[in-house]
Amino acid sequence: MKKLTKLASLALALPLTIALAACSGSSTPSAQPGGSASGGTTGSGKLTAWAWDPAFNIFALNEAAKVYQQDHPDFEIEVVETPWDDLQTKLTTLAQSGQTDELPDIFLMQNNAFQKNVINYPDLFTDYSASPVDFSQFPQGVVDYSVVDGVNYGLPFDNGTAITALRTDVLEKAGYTVDDFTDITWSDFLAKGKDVLAKTGQPLLSGQAGSSDLIMMMLQSAGASLFDAEGKPTITNNEALMKSIDVYAQLVKAGVLTEVNSWDEYIGTLVNSSVAGTINGVWILGSIQTAEDQSGKWQITNLPKLDGLSGATNYSANGGSSWAISSNANAELAADFLNSTFAGSTDFYDTILPSSGAIANWSPAGKSPVYSEPQEFFGGQAVFAQVLEYAPNVPSNNTGAYYYEGRDAVSAAITKILNGTDPATALDEAQKTVEFAMQ
Amino acid sequence: MTRTLRRVPGYLFLTVAAILSVFPLYFMVVSATNTSQDVLDSRLLPGSHLIENFNTLVGSQDVGSAMSHSAVNAIATTALALVVCSIAGYGFEVFHSRGKDTMMSILLLAMMIPFAATMIPLFQLFAELDMVNSTFAVILPAISTPFLILLFRQASRSFPHEIIEAARIDGLGELSIFGRIYLPTMRSTYAAAAVITFMTAWNNFLWPKVILVNNDYQTMPMLISNIRAGYVTDYGMLMLAVLLASLPAVVVFLLLQRSFANGITGAIK
Repeated sequence: MKKLTKLASLALALPLTIALAACSGSSTPSAQPGGSASGGTTGSGKLTAWAWDPAFNIFALNEAAKVYQQDHPDFEIEVVETPWDDLQTKLTTLAQSGQTDELPDIFLMQNNAFQKNVINYPDLFTDYSASPVDFSQFPQGVVDYSVVDGVNYGLPFDNGTAITALRTDVLEKAGYTVDDFTDITWSDFLAKGKDVLAKTGQPLLSGQAGSSDLIMMMLQSAGASLFDAEGKPTITNNEALMKSIDVYAQLVKAGVLTEVNSWDEYIGTLVNSSVAGTINGVWILGSIQTAEDQSGKWQITNLPKLDGLSGATNYSANGGSSWAISSNANAELAADFLNSTFAGSTDFYDTILPSSGAIANWSPAGKSPVYSEPQEFFGGQAVFAQVLEYAPNVPSNNTGAYYYEGRDAVSAAITKILNGTDPATALDEAQKTVEFAMQ
Repeated sequence: MTRTLRRVPGYLFLTVAAILSVFPLYFMVVSATNTSQDVLDSRLLPGSHLIENFNTLVGSQDVGSAMSHSAVNAIATTALALVVCSIAGYGFEVFHSRGKDTMMSILLLAMMIPFAATMIPLFQLFAELDMVNSTFAVILPAISTPFLILLFRQASRSFPHEIIEAARIDGLGELSIFGRIYLPTMRSTYAAAAVITFMTAWNNFLWPKVILVNNDYQTMPMLISNIRAGYVTDYGMLMLAVLLASLPAVVVFLLLQRSFANGITGAIK
């Protein structure tokens, strides 16, 4: 019986001890982000930042810190690795609970989500109006993602310029070169795609079923969007959208675009050679290059443009991200840090390009010889310089506060259209869904 | 003979079902030893890149600290939850009254509120208590759950009240009755509750992600989420991380497997 009492008391005491030990973790006051930077002078102190890719944007931040430290030896940066989805969850929680003092000094934000966050949660941001950043050195189309009511809220970082990446070895078998896919229209692309499929059995493209990425890229290439200037949805009677959906449906029906179920499968189709190309933001090259056995077999070119539409171009974008300064920041230091590195140092961009593939949006960086170096993986093509040539031609994209709702509604409509629903009816429903969400 | 033959379709079905349920686990283990490209090619044979994947994983993420934070969270949550919920469940059943029954119904209704709805007020509460970024904030909301209280309450129904009466007559205090008589007899219920709580706590993602604003107390599910977040995912390394993260839950389950089954069936009685 005594033994049992001992056991019971142990059972009670043990968890308490653990709980107390666990509590001690909270007794250390959490590091105060920003605000309390030592001294008042710009350039010394510590910044905290949220970003999500150790090989890409976190790497870039740390390299930027090294560059900045050359002139400001007391400067420090602490990066908290936070995946984008989680970052959005955290921002929403902090904004809705009003706990903005938990925000870091700077955080990275997907371009497509920028306007939505600024419009819904203006309390999270410090704008760039007091900063020395010269936004004219960035492509207007990219800057526009983070402009709300004429005020800049984001400093563009990685380039989301869209490219068509193609397997030259497969094209060769069908008697084509990458030039045959440069500056073409979608009807051209479809015809050539059918030919390649017939001769080699390989589709030119793959995509995630139910994802509207490609359609959104087509739409932006014509300078169109799902919303008008006042932010009202324009999903119905949208000629560019109708054309894009039509092209997409034709690609799928002809088998030139094969639909897969998940993002991982999509990446799989690229690296295991089941398709001969892809159209996406330039960051997709990182995944393509993991297939080392395909070195020398890829090249890039611009996008096909929509037929018979005024304003249609061969250029678009998908993704990309910009740096935001939070409302809880040592704003002066944060702005000076970003301005001296991401908007002011060619050395910095030269360092990050070869090892991370992070292509600058800041135009002076593109003049560096590092960008014109031929890339072995892409058969000696200078892909980075190529992308920088496309970037200024990308039309602006009006994302607004309900971009994701619009995109989701259009994705649902595409699935219905591919299953036989009349496009006008499906888009009408999508329009109503978005209008309902906006009420 | 006919009897054996009659069993064939049943076994066949069970075999297929077993293969289907074991396959994802097999693929996880095998993929942990393959390169990223092999995983995307759906290679089903073990490879030789386990050490390489391990080195990349350890090189890019602080696995040791994530494992230990997950362990502290899961063990502390389980221990505290068992104490709190078993006392509550016992109390609701043994010291039964109309008011307590109403209280229990309210608790059960609380089970239906999704966590997403309570997350923001909960965050606000912890922020006002200055508890953001602490292990304590991760553990505290998980200590008392309506489900566990219900489990213990239902299990207590099968616990003979006569024993309690007899113990009272013999002069045993209420706490001793709970500690010396109830606790040892309900071992299998405790085991079942422990398995459930441990697994929920170990896999908990959303709340830790929100309340741990910086990554000082990062847990394994958060670490896996980080690996998935980059533009390029190393699938071999990812699978290894997933494997490491699932091992403790598997071990706990295997250790308590028999009692788990007894505890669950006992609770339904």
